[in-house]
Amino acid sequence: MKGVKSSNMDHLVPIIKIFGIEFDLAAILMVVLSSIIVFVLARLAVRNLSVENPGKLQNFLEWVVEFVQSIIGMATDFKRGRVYTGLGLALIMYIFVSNMLGLPFGIVSEAHDNQIPKVFGQELIVKGEHEHLAWLWWKSPTADMAMTMALALTVIVLSHIQGVRHNRKHYLKHYFEPWPFFLPINLIETAAKPLTLGLRLYGNIYAGEVMIGIILGMGWVGIPALMVWQGFSIFVGAIQAFVFTMLTMVYIGQASIHDEH
Amino acid sequence: MVYGLLAAAIVFGLGAFGASIGNGMIFSKTIEGISRQPELRGSLQTTAFIGVGLVEALPIISLVLAFILMGQAE
Repeated sequence: MKGVKSSNMDHLVPIIKIFGIEFDLAAILMVVLSSIIVFVLARLAVRNLSVENPGKLQNFLEWVVEFVQSIIGMATDFKRGRVYTGLGLALIMYIFVSNMLGLPFGIVSEAHDNQIPKVFGQELIVKGEHEHLAWLWWKSPTADMAMTMALALTVIVLSHIQGVRHNRKHYLKHYFEPWPFFLPINLIETAAKPLTLGLRLYGNIYAGEVMIGIILGMGWVGIPALMVWQGFSIFVGAIQAFVFTMLTMVYIGQASIHDEH
Repeated sequence: MVYGLLAAAIVFGLGAFGASIGNGMIFSKTIEGISRQPELRGSLQTTAFIGVGLVEALPIISLVLAFILMGQAE
């Protein structure tokens, strides 16, 4: 768009093509970075574990574990659902850290004289026309649709697998509940679950980042607006991590845990 | 004609309308519930935020669509 200075939408994505497959380098880098951050945080918290005298980080991680267990208790039967505590913990920490990463700053690289740089010997792909080439290297990993859909698909496939393994009769029967002619509706629901799970997280974080770009384009006037928007984005990031984890537990519980018959 | 901009405006306008009505209904019922039983305040608040996360999913998707459509404006 002309006239919007350094708007987020004008930044290119650094994509390279290896063996015909396109790789988004910024997304790969940010995914690795957030994985490292979560891993280091978790490992630091379990050093020198102590029951009588817990350190601050150990206390914090224990609180997170209890929070995840309360989510499981809200979503499904806790006695049989507590095996998923590790999954819930990984999801909520990873998604929360990923949502926060894109907020503080962004790193943009610009091309001199519009020359296209090479990474690992491959040229970055430029789609469309741009007057001034600039690539965005730092963004939230969850602002990428591939990443959130991968998370959602992993979790939904896990729920189907657990349903077939642990609860085969009821899982197959529930497609025909409450009446057999509900089958198309239930199939649509099955298809819609991974879609909405992934798109909800993607849309929230991506829209937040685009708004940050637009507010930055307003110059000095936008500083209070930016502060308010950053605060709201922290709130939205936390809520979306919570909702993703909660829905994961609900779907897994619905598919695999039914013992009232 | 700027069909892309018009489409983006309609898409997100309707999405915002839906989001505001949905959130308003959720929170009005939550406030009513808290006023009836103040000791359930924490649980009702948590459920309200879960509801907000779910209700706002489609309007946010419409926002992303609006950005895509804006980029295609002539």
